[in-house]
Amino acid sequence: MSFDCTTDGQSHGLQSLVHVNRREFVWEMGAGFTGLALTGMLSRDGFFSKTGYAAETPSINPLTAKASHSFGRAKSVIFLMMNGAPSQVDTFDHKPLLEKMSGQPLPEGKKFTNSGGRKVGFLTPSFRPFRPGGESGLMISDFFENVRKHADKLAVIRSCHTDSHAHGSALVAMNTGKTFIGRPSLGSWAVYGLGTENESLPGYVVILDKRGGPISGQPNWSSGFMPSSYQGTLFRPVGDPILDLRGPGYLDRSAQRAQLDLLAKLNADHMAARPGGSDLASRINTYELAYRMQAEAPEAVDLSQETKATQDLYGIGRHPTDEFGRNCLVARRLVERGVRFVQLYSGGGHLEETWDAHKSIETNHGQHAGEVDLPIAGLLTDLERRGLLDETLVVWGGEFGRMPFSEGKGEPGRNHNPYGFSMWMAGGGAKGGTSYGETDEFGFEAIKDKVHLHDLHATILHLMGLNHERLTYFHQGRDERLTDVFGNVVEGILA
Amino acid sequence: MSVRSAMWIVCLLVIAVPVTFANADSTDPFSRDVAPILVKRCLECHNERDASAKLILSDKSAALKGGESGPAVVARDPGKSLLIEKVRSGEMPPPKRGHSQKLSPAEITTLQNWVSAGAHWPDGRKLDLYEATTDVRGGRDWWSLQPVRRPVVPSLDITAPSKSPVDAFIQTRLNELGMQPAPVASRATLIRRLYLDLIGLPPSYEEIREFESEPAPDAYERLVDRLLASPHFGERQGRLWLDLVRYADTCGYERDQEKPHAWKYRDWVIAAFNSDLPWSQFIIEQLAGDELPDRTESSVIATGLLRLGTWNDEPNDADEYKYERLEDMVHVTSTAFLGLTVKCARCHDHKFDPIPQTDYYRMAAAFWAGAIEPRGRELLGGPTRDELGFDVMGWTDIRQPPPLHLLRKGEHKHPLGVVEPGHLTLVPAIDRPLEPAPLGAKSTHRRRQLAEWIALPENPLTPRVLVNRLWMNHFGSGLVRSADNFGFTGDKPTHPELLDWLAAEVSRREDSTHSGPVGTATTHKSAMKSLHRLLVTSFTYQQASLHPQQDLYSAQDAGNRFWWRAERRRLDSESLRDRMLIVGNDLDTRMTGPGFKPTIQPEALEGLSRKEGAWKPSPSGEQRRRGVYMFSQRSLLPPLMTTFDFVDTTLPCVQRPVSTVAPQALALLNNSFAHERSAALAERVQREVAESLTKTTDLLDYQIRRAWQISLGRDPSNSEIEAARSHVRQQTARFQKTLQTPASQVTRLPETGKVLHLAADSGVQTDSEGRVESWNDQSGQSHHASQTVAAHRPLLVKNAISGQPTLRLDGQKRFLKVSGQVVTSSAFAVFAVVNDQSTTNQHREIFSNWNGGAGNSGTSLFLGMTGADSVRLSDDFSGVGKVMRRSEPFLLAGFNGSTGLSIQQNGTDLAAKSQTLSPRNLKTDYVIGQQGNIDGEYWHGDIAELVVYDRELKETERQAVTQYLAEKYRLPRQVQQPPRTAIQLALTSLCHVLMNTNEFVYLD
Repeated sequence: MSFDCTTDGQSHGLQSLVHVNRREFVWEMGAGFTGLALTGMLSRDGFFSKTGYAAETPSINPLTAKASHSFGRAKSVIFLMMNGAPSQVDTFDHKPLLEKMSGQPLPEGKKFTNSGGRKVGFLTPSFRPFRPGGESGLMISDFFENVRKHADKLAVIRSCHTDSHAHGSALVAMNTGKTFIGRPSLGSWAVYGLGTENESLPGYVVILDKRGGPISGQPNWSSGFMPSSYQGTLFRPVGDPILDLRGPGYLDRSAQRAQLDLLAKLNADHMAARPGGSDLASRINTYELAYRMQAEAPEAVDLSQETKATQDLYGIGRHPTDEFGRNCLVARRLVERGVRFVQLYSGGGHLEETWDAHKSIETNHGQHAGEVDLPIAGLLTDLERRGLLDETLVVWGGEFGRMPFSEGKGEPGRNHNPYGFSMWMAGGGAKGGTSYGETDEFGFEAIKDKVHLHDLHATILHLMGLNHERLTYFHQGRDERLTDVFGNVVEGILA
Repeated sequence: MSVRSAMWIVCLLVIAVPVTFANADSTDPFSRDVAPILVKRCLECHNERDASAKLILSDKSAALKGGESGPAVVARDPGKSLLIEKVRSGEMPPPKRGHSQKLSPAEITTLQNWVSAGAHWPDGRKLDLYEATTDVRGGRDWWSLQPVRRPVVPSLDITAPSKSPVDAFIQTRLNELGMQPAPVASRATLIRRLYLDLIGLPPSYEEIREFESEPAPDAYERLVDRLLASPHFGERQGRLWLDLVRYADTCGYERDQEKPHAWKYRDWVIAAFNSDLPWSQFIIEQLAGDELPDRTESSVIATGLLRLGTWNDEPNDADEYKYERLEDMVHVTSTAFLGLTVKCARCHDHKFDPIPQTDYYRMAAAFWAGAIEPRGRELLGGPTRDELGFDVMGWTDIRQPPPLHLLRKGEHKHPLGVVEPGHLTLVPAIDRPLEPAPLGAKSTHRRRQLAEWIALPENPLTPRVLVNRLWMNHFGSGLVRSADNFGFTGDKPTHPELLDWLAAEVSRREDSTHSGPVGTATTHKSAMKSLHRLLVTSFTYQQASLHPQQDLYSAQDAGNRFWWRAERRRLDSESLRDRMLIVGNDLDTRMTGPGFKPTIQPEALEGLSRKEGAWKPSPSGEQRRRGVYMFSQRSLLPPLMTTFDFVDTTLPCVQRPVSTVAPQALALLNNSFAHERSAALAERVQREVAESLTKTTDLLDYQIRRAWQISLGRDPSNSEIEAARSHVRQQTARFQKTLQTPASQVTRLPETGKVLHLAADSGVQTDSEGRVESWNDQSGQSHHASQTVAAHRPLLVKNAISGQPTLRLDGQKRFLKVSGQVVTSSAFAVFAVVNDQSTTNQHREIFSNWNGGAGNSGTSLFLGMTGADSVRLSDDFSGVGKVMRRSEPFLLAGFNGSTGLSIQQNGTDLAAKSQTLSPRNLKTDYVIGQQGNIDGEYWHGDIAELVVYDRELKETERQAVTQYLAEKYRLPRQVQQPPRTAIQLALTSLCHVLMNTNEFVYLD
């Protein structure tokens, strides 16, 4: 269904689920200065023909699939959020100079905020060796020895930088573009722009680490000022994945069917006396949809349908890869079923339960990379062999990076670093075997082809076929954007 | 026509509309032709403060002088005038978002001709970006900034059904359009509408019937007066205000601390609406209640408005964060009272409204003297109790504020000139300089003057914004649809004269002399309530939501902008929840006090970074209070509420979006709250019918009738009775099968498949110290338990639990080994009567077959606890649920089988899912009181009895075992037992369906 069609007041029918304010249609308009103020003008007295009024409140499902801005290959995104911030110089940003200058202080003149007022130690080389991977020879450390085998699929951005050195604000920023809470998250924008391909499942799914949710919680997957239908749905990777899928035991499926049949009759009588009640029809329809979700949502996480070989690929059933492996496999099953945006958290709760390696990179990253390296490699293999990689964008990264220096003599941990860090993308139109941008010779700050998180967001939207400047939501007199007034698409990583 | 093509027509129309300048009819060709182009297309970047390329085009000499590149205008020589060159080439104005902004040929010609003719620019004529509205931005002549003038009420012909001035305006417009209003709604509809609209609660069936048969001509008006006088009025209207001022009980962000006493502000708001506080006082107390000479605890509580925003105790940059907080305060103040987007001017002159950047800082300066600077975390961004004078959440000045600088692009690192405190300049007639604080004053009096300026009777925005919001709340949409934006990008009023007439009524009805603070005796006129009354007693309000010409009129005016019918509305989350409670007679109408915390499913708590103790639900009685008293925790808003569009608490929200999505249906179908309410309704129906009925024939019909009356406020039709009867009969038959044997009749344990039964009251052998050497299995399967090492033996304690003995494990490596393979199949049931004395949050197990290297959490079978009070079952449930009163004896039971995996405490589900455990390695050794031979995770507490079945138990069998053990150990029942008989369940099923109907959820 094309977008034009969905905005047409004539096209709605019984399948319609929601009334949508006209302000939501404005994102598609690419007009010049008039576009900015267009929404307000829509309704000015005297400017509207009567048919204009009539078309004002078409009733459509906000999650109905919509056409993109006619470019971009990624139908879905799997965002692998390394909560707590992995160290770039120990993973994807090779800095041989750190070997030579090991034990020396960071040269003076490099200004930084010392987050949390921790001890500032000495330059420390990577805790595990880097080796080239694939044809491209991308340098990746042994923390990600399995991902390294997929080097030719990765577009590594080594010049990321962000606006905050504090976990809470930086994570909210990575998810919503701003360091303060209250804005719609990236997944909300994606679902707002593109809808979902499968209405029996949420369009935007978040799977947390069992150890806990991220700092600041809900605002990380909030839809902010947009309707809550665009917010992320927490998905549990085992059992009943979403809330309220089952009632009490005595109400089995047949008993519930009897309820729904009676409900349909009562609602039909009610609506018959209220002609033109598209809101009523929409709500009637949600019950059939809910009935289907009760079956389809658990099916989506039923990994027993997968072969042993596939489960092995993801490291399922083995320590320490079982949990993240399951999550990755569930993510694949979700995008296969048309879910638009899936975010998986590695690391939950606080401190060492996340990638926040203040005490020891080797211990912390050894644990967390050990949990995710094989599953991520398995995910990339599986997506590719199923022909899904081309239309699925996989994004890997944390909320910021870590310092190239330790937290003191004999202290093998690293402090927060928002000035330079690495993220990578694979599939979905990202150029494999590429590195983009550079940090300085210490891996301390981005210096070449710097990529701010707004640029990351612009690029992810672009790969999904959405123009970040045109994807706007009219809120309180302003056409709001994920990237505010910033953001440039990182052309260098586009395939 | 599609929306899209309609939009394009609008664009074209907008562009074609001539710019109307205040002095456009002047004969001066500069002002008539040239100034509009310069103002509209050039001045945004070339003004005195923001002179791009150092070029200023707002006055003559500056334009002639030009900027960095040379003179912009050379009289009589367009070829040498850079202005002409740049606009002709299209270089200026620069493209926006990749779209050319080149002037039209006509505009270029106008400029060219003007230069050629000598570039006449009247002396002293200064151009101002906001001097007049153009088609790209609003000026000071924007409609909402003009004085409120009380228009003459149109006279209607005598056939009009009402004498209300409201109707005169509405009907006149309808008449002009050749449209007729809808007929008046039925009395039953009207009373429902009034109740839910004014007090947020439904009327009872009896109240509806009484109103329907009330003969008095003024019955409607008397009903309105009764509801306006109800204390529930303030609860309903107050909640709408709380949305607008971003109310929540916590700070948000990582620690999401509770804001102590936030609820006092909520109570203040409710009381303010109930006591009909004059609007001017409502404004002044909330912005400056601390600066009043007769300040009281109540007026200081009102300043809590300024404390309600999110607060980050760990901002990225503490200096920058001060300005974020200023923005929050400017934003809430300007949105709530003025309907303006002032915050847009933090970084630059407002793009669309006459709010220069300096105005933002003039207004922000009002808050600059408060607790903006970083201070101790425990103060949560506010003043101390001493500074405030009361133990409340409020705001006050705590310092002589330093100068406030205008910030380039709003960035704190780029301060420009100092801005003196002042008012917005968009209504010059009421602009006036701020006065210094009176001698000896403790505060700057800036907020007080800001509040008084907002409350000025001459302020055109305040009363317009107010009456528009009242209209919106009662009618479903505002006369100005964008109720939070009266600026250029907002909507214009559908009925500007009506809006102004209502706005004029505000000051006419409001007593100019202020009364005392909220809660004290008041003498003022009942102004605000009389405005509500004015609106809801209009005929326009009383129309039916259906119109005989529905299709035709919908085609003409789908948005109902001309008010030819009433709007059908869906109940908001609180009204729906309240209604579900009230039909079961469960609603607790207590007012005031700290908010209650509803029970939230354990699965929904997983989003929290700190799970331990993060959410303690209130006692169930508390939870039956109205939704307005629900605790709002920013990091964890209750899913049941957010699913139904509960407000996002971070930004002011003037009107909640209404979405209709499948998770709402899932919640009402499956959430335990819906089932508890259905059961309560069914019980009420049964009880009331039993009390009123003397004969028992047709009992079901009476019950059905009563269920309809209570839930929907009406009698069912014959076909509805028939359908309901058939539903109840079918469901009864179905449930009879499910509940073949009522649990209450079974006091014996089922024997089939019982593979382990250890009870501390028999078969226990102790050593000389009274420690347990062996514990004999009574199941007949010889899975005896034993401990050969004395140091590892648990103690046998007599008379420990309701007279029964128990095995006591102290967490010091006490455990027992079980002989043989206890469980052999993937379906099982494990029951354990225990208590938990653990003082750590570590894993601790009751029963396990974990086998070190050979097994792990993914393949072994175990039941235990973790964290402070959550349970684990083979890690498919890991740290879920919430064990109540764990230090007292309880029954913990885990089940696996065709219906899925579940875990219960005292017969109540702690967690459940529809899938079964993945295959287990069941062959390794079984132990009691630790994880296995890994030597760890020791139980610390009592284990009195353990029963294991090697098969799936039916629901009735589970209940039987639960009942047996509950009686033996006198275990508490945590929740009210669900109805037990099939007919009760079937009636509950019917009530549940009724609560799911559109009729229950929508208001005609």
